[in-house]
Amino acid sequence: MIRLYHVHKAFGDVEALNDVTVHVSKGEFAYITGASGAGKSTMLKLLYGAIRPTSGKLLVGGVDASKLSQRQLPFLRRNIGVIFQDFKLIENRTVGDNIGLALEVLGIPRPEVDRRVRAALNVVGLKTKGDRYPLDLSGGEQQRVAVARAIINDPAVLLADEPTGNLDGGLAIEVMEILLSVNLRGTTVLVATHDVALMDRFPHRRLRFEHGRLAES
Amino acid sequence: MLGHLIRRALRSLRENVYLNLVSTGVIAAAVLLAGVYLAIMVNLGSVVDSWDRDVHVSAYFYTDVPVDRRFEIKDDVANLPPVAEVRYVTEEEAAAWLVEKVEDVGPIVEELGPSVLPASLEITLKSENTRPGDIKAFVESMDDSDFEFIDYGQEWVQRFNTFLALLQVLGIVLGSLIFTAAVFLVGNTMHLVAYARRQELETMKLVGATWTFVAIPFILEGAIQGLVGSSIAVVGVLGLHTALVNQLQDALSLAVSDTMTFLPLPYIAMLLLSGVVLGVMGCSTSIYRFWSQAP
Repeated sequence: MIRLYHVHKAFGDVEALNDVTVHVSKGEFAYITGASGAGKSTMLKLLYGAIRPTSGKLLVGGVDASKLSQRQLPFLRRNIGVIFQDFKLIENRTVGDNIGLALEVLGIPRPEVDRRVRAALNVVGLKTKGDRYPLDLSGGEQQRVAVARAIINDPAVLLADEPTGNLDGGLAIEVMEILLSVNLRGTTVLVATHDVALMDRFPHRRLRFEHGRLAES
Repeated sequence: MLGHLIRRALRSLRENVYLNLVSTGVIAAAVLLAGVYLAIMVNLGSVVDSWDRDVHVSAYFYTDVPVDRRFEIKDDVANLPPVAEVRYVTEEEAAAWLVEKVEDVGPIVEELGPSVLPASLEITLKSENTRPGDIKAFVESMDDSDFEFIDYGQEWVQRFNTFLALLQVLGIVLGSLIFTAAVFLVGNTMHLVAYARRQELETMKLVGATWTFVAIPFILEGAIQGLVGSSIAVVGVLGLHTALVNQLQDALSLAVSDTMTFLPLPYIAMLLLSGVVLGVMGCSTSIYRFWSQAP
């Protein structure tokens, strides 16, 4: 599902990723781990096309993400659910509208969007919060809204950047269980985290980065 | 899908009332400036037209030209293609006109006799032949052997010509300034609108929205703002026009409404369209700037 061949990414003189070659199979669950600045977020950004590799080849679902034009990029992103570290929720839209956005952009009719939003809210335990606005919610609840938006269209790939970073122990486990249930439905899941306890509790493959290099895969 | 995009545009208009009012106001101000300028040009144009209609050529006979010959010449002139109408003005009629127009000249005319002014032909040209160059060419083409003097207000026509040229240059300069100011104002306001919504743009792009999906509601918003703004401006120009007509009417006791015209329909349509274009251009360029910068 995800294949990187000798991928380099430099920001000026700083080499964020250095000769990374890795394969992640369809339906696999893997952690991207490492210290701060090791290259975890850079790796995720490359996968959803926010940045381009300096060199190397990067395939997501058979599509060369490094060569996509701005016009083609949305079609790659529609197959990728992303949970952003800063949630990226639209403040003046309700929770329901934020979650439904991923379906709206596909042109899905409103009644169908509403039905699936209700189901997604159920999954993340925010059944009664659909009409609230993001800033009315706690950090943990906002995190779960971001999760609901990322999974609502059953993406082929789910990328999560520190999805439990803002959550206390119990909520972190709940979110991890949601990600695992998504994975069980066949979605390839990549979770960037440095939470060792969480990785130990839910053991899966670890792609460990050190100074931009893949130290363990 | 289109219905959904229109709903999004309307919702966005409701949600960003203040910013939308500001950009609508800026468009209204810009179009109002353009409208006032157009109204001035249109009215000057109609004044020019009415002056054109009043252009006559007066050909004064030598006093020794027999009356029969004068009528022959009148018929010849009347048959010339550029001529619309020819009137023979007798010495008596000319003297009566002088007495009527110039105060206290009656006794002098009486003393000098009715032949104080020469008889003349008053030639009115067809409207398509009233440009200064045409009049000059017509006068030069006339056989002037029986005329002492042919007058067509050369000096006046020349001055009028210079005035027209100056007016046109002024119009182009003013028009360019107004257009530049409008684009600058609308562009900056729209940039603020887009800046306030950059988070929404970025998120939409990240979840897989295409440019078309994002742009259409913004463009519709811009078009609605433009249409509302330019409609306000047209009403404003109408208000100013009416107020000015009333003022002049009161001040001059003249039926100025006959000569002062409001903007013709094509001009109104042009103003409305320019508002829409300003709104759409301002919105789409600002949105595109943020869209292209979003990851």
